[in-house]
Amino acid sequence: MEVSELRTYILRRVVYAIPTLLGISVIVFLITHLSPGDPVRLYTFGALNVTEEDIQALRAHYGLDQPLPIQYIDWLLKAVRGDFGSSLQYNRPALGLLLERTPNTLILAFAALALQLVIGVPLGVLAALKRGTWIDGVVRVIGVVGHAIPAFWIGLLLILAVSVSLRFLPSQGVLTVGKDVWDIGDRARHLIMPAFVLALAGIANYSRYLRTETLDVINQDYIRTAHSKGLRARTVMYVHALRNALIPMVTALGGLLAALVSGALVIEQVFTWPGVGQFTYAAARSKDYPVIMAGVMVASVLLVLSYLIRDIAYAMVDPRIKVP
Amino acid sequence: MRQSWRTLRPLVAVLGTVALVATACSGATPSGGGQTAAVAETPVKGGRVIEGSFSDIQRLNLATSNDATSSKVSGKIYDSLIVADPKTGEFKPNLGQWKVSADGLNFDWTIDAKANWSDGKPITGNDFLARVKMQGRSKVTPNKSVFNDIEGYQDYSTGKATAISGIKVDATDPKKFSVKFTRIFCPALGNVFGSAPMPEHIYGKYTVDSDITKVVDDAPENNAPPVASGPFKFKEWRKGDQVILVRNDTYWKGAPLLDEYVLKVVADTTVQAAQLKTGELTLAQVNAADLATLQGSDNIKLYKFANNGYTYIGWRTNNANVPFLQDKRVRQALMYGINTDEIVKAVYFGEGSKMVAHHPPVSWAAAKDVNQYPYDKTKAEGLLKDAGYAKGADGIYAKDGKPIAITIVTNQGNKARETFLQVAVEQYKQIGVKITPKLEAFESLVPKLTGGSPEVEAVIIGWQLSAEPDPFTIWHSSNVASPTKAGNNFVGYSNPKVDALIEQGRNGPDCSQPARQKAYQEMNKILNDDVPYMFGVADGRIYAADSRIRSLDPGSFSPNMDWNIEKWWIKQ
Repeated sequence: MEVSELRTYILRRVVYAIPTLLGISVIVFLITHLSPGDPVRLYTFGALNVTEEDIQALRAHYGLDQPLPIQYIDWLLKAVRGDFGSSLQYNRPALGLLLERTPNTLILAFAALALQLVIGVPLGVLAALKRGTWIDGVVRVIGVVGHAIPAFWIGLLLILAVSVSLRFLPSQGVLTVGKDVWDIGDRARHLIMPAFVLALAGIANYSRYLRTETLDVINQDYIRTAHSKGLRARTVMYVHALRNALIPMVTALGGLLAALVSGALVIEQVFTWPGVGQFTYAAARSKDYPVIMAGVMVASVLLVLSYLIRDIAYAMVDPRIKVP
Repeated sequence: MRQSWRTLRPLVAVLGTVALVATACSGATPSGGGQTAAVAETPVKGGRVIEGSFSDIQRLNLATSNDATSSKVSGKIYDSLIVADPKTGEFKPNLGQWKVSADGLNFDWTIDAKANWSDGKPITGNDFLARVKMQGRSKVTPNKSVFNDIEGYQDYSTGKATAISGIKVDATDPKKFSVKFTRIFCPALGNVFGSAPMPEHIYGKYTVDSDITKVVDDAPENNAPPVASGPFKFKEWRKGDQVILVRNDTYWKGAPLLDEYVLKVVADTTVQAAQLKTGELTLAQVNAADLATLQGSDNIKLYKFANNGYTYIGWRTNNANVPFLQDKRVRQALMYGINTDEIVKAVYFGEGSKMVAHHPPVSWAAAKDVNQYPYDKTKAEGLLKDAGYAKGADGIYAKDGKPIAITIVTNQGNKARETFLQVAVEQYKQIGVKITPKLEAFESLVPKLTGGSPEVEAVIIGWQLSAEPDPFTIWHSSNVASPTKAGNNFVGYSNPKVDALIEQGRNGPDCSQPARQKAYQEMNKILNDDVPYMFGVADGRIYAADSRIRSLDPGSFSPNMDWNIEKWWIKQ
């Protein structure tokens, strides 16, 4: 693909993303603002001597006294400039609050992604090569179990077994009390369980996927040709078979970021991992509109981006595919 | 009444029992010593306490925050002029001593000569003034009206005045200041002077007398307070994970013994209980439901105390959908017809006591010698009959074809309240009253309650009361919740006699404790007879702590149990 071609393609995709993001923002704005619950009344609940005038003044301060369309346009005009408003609870810019928690979520997501690839891919290939053996059987059981059991349940089980009974790993948060913020070893120990639980579904997915793809590929004519050329079995496997089996995996990668970030929401709760998911969830419970909107928009942008990267990668891995 | 995330609780509870029983024997034993218990222990310096919390703090500026977790941490950084006696709830001098004028309108304060900020600057009347000013001008505080009765406050707050005429700081001795009120306001001592002074030399610059757009709301110090008047200083906020406080070596009451106090966020109560056992937490408030897993653990000591608060069923007395609830006899029947002791057992695992009026027994405002409403199904049904209802073929009492059927709502995810509701459904059925249970998310329930929505016929919810017993916002008819005016009188209770007694307790003229006690006891007697609530249960408060932590001394009026934290120490 020519560089200029690629540039036009990316530009076109970015332009296409705008109506998508606008649509998402309208829908989420309506859902958050029309669902029952009033952030100011929640926020002032239990406050000493709070008067109706105080409540009205707070509503006005947050612009909640305006008609909904005005509120939306106001939000949009500020959002395009990166101003998502201030959190009602924290009284700090919503975007900043999310960004300071983003590294935690990314660390968790990428650690999970790495585990998925490192464990899931070899498992799938192994199962295909040893088709019909007990190894294949085990991998297939992992594939089903990893999908069927809810991640949070496994998470709780692990907390009780690994942290409480064996006292082997910490189960909550990112850092042991008293440790330095740069204590990478301690952070890694906190990461193991949540990353593993978050990776489970992906490991199951990948192993099944890779198994099917590999089986497909090793029955192709060109593999037989490679074998008859006298190439070593290992070369045939890694150079010819695996490379082709991996192509459809790229498709899966695009949706992966979304799956990881949404999965992280649950996992972050179970392990009190201070990331974006846990934070946005808490904001939704408190009807903290600016944080909810910022959270959803950040996730949407990430998703659109990840699809774009997937499509480009797809075109690069498989020369037969022309970008439209 | 804030919510924690507990949807996974039942599961953890079941799993927890199994896994924790298996590890009970391997629990760490307190180390060191070999000394006999009879020998008096000598407190030593050092160590840290790690307290579990469901939620992170939100802001550490007392003038703008409203959440319990932030207050818990801020309360250790800032001392107030007064303090509630942890056992009796009476207000006592703390940072300051006061004198009230004969007309009850003027308070003269003197701040302790030793009281300094942690940077060495003296704590003065200007710091209290700074607190009032920043709260008055803040655009985000929910507590703006706390100071409404201070002369000149509202004019300053709205920008009509550039000074608060009612607060005068002595120019020669700024440790002395006076506060003048526009009317007698008995809760002032607790509410107004319970508001801690804030360092004028740090925050003063953000509020500009002549410019109401200049406010403290976005000050960076709100999230990292640089100086302290309390036993601990702020060190670090690891967002979403930990808040770290360190000893204030120059604390005016004497430096604390602990090196650090750390608040650690752990989102689930049962996981908190588990972490207490592993030592990852060394202090946490726990649910009665988790007691079973903690008892018998020799590295944990439990502290139980009566709560100054209660969980109740509120009956809407102003909702046309449930007209029968306007009849006192029906409400009394609902009081006699439920076995509260059973609820204490089933819902609170025995940790709580029956309530029959507004103020819990620990409060000096509680009434003595009131009807205890012993469980009596026959009496309950008798009252329904007296009210003109007859049992229908379906076993439900009805009048003119309209049965006594009530929907009781509570907030979803609060296990104790959900169980309370189940028990109520069962028990009221036995006296011929039909209850439909309904669960609703906290965030959508609250606006319906404070907005007087007709959707709410009855509600199970709770009050956590403060040491200042003024029940104005809960029972005065001017606070009846309606769509146009938010109020905490959700049930729509309106009684001129109760109004008069509340006003007497609030506006005196005699603000002495005996006078107010008389008014509140009288009010509680009327509420005890009117029973607009099934007053439910004062659910006990339980803390679990590492057994090496010494000098913990619980009291009902120190809900965070931290009133003497400067004396806490850890046995090595």
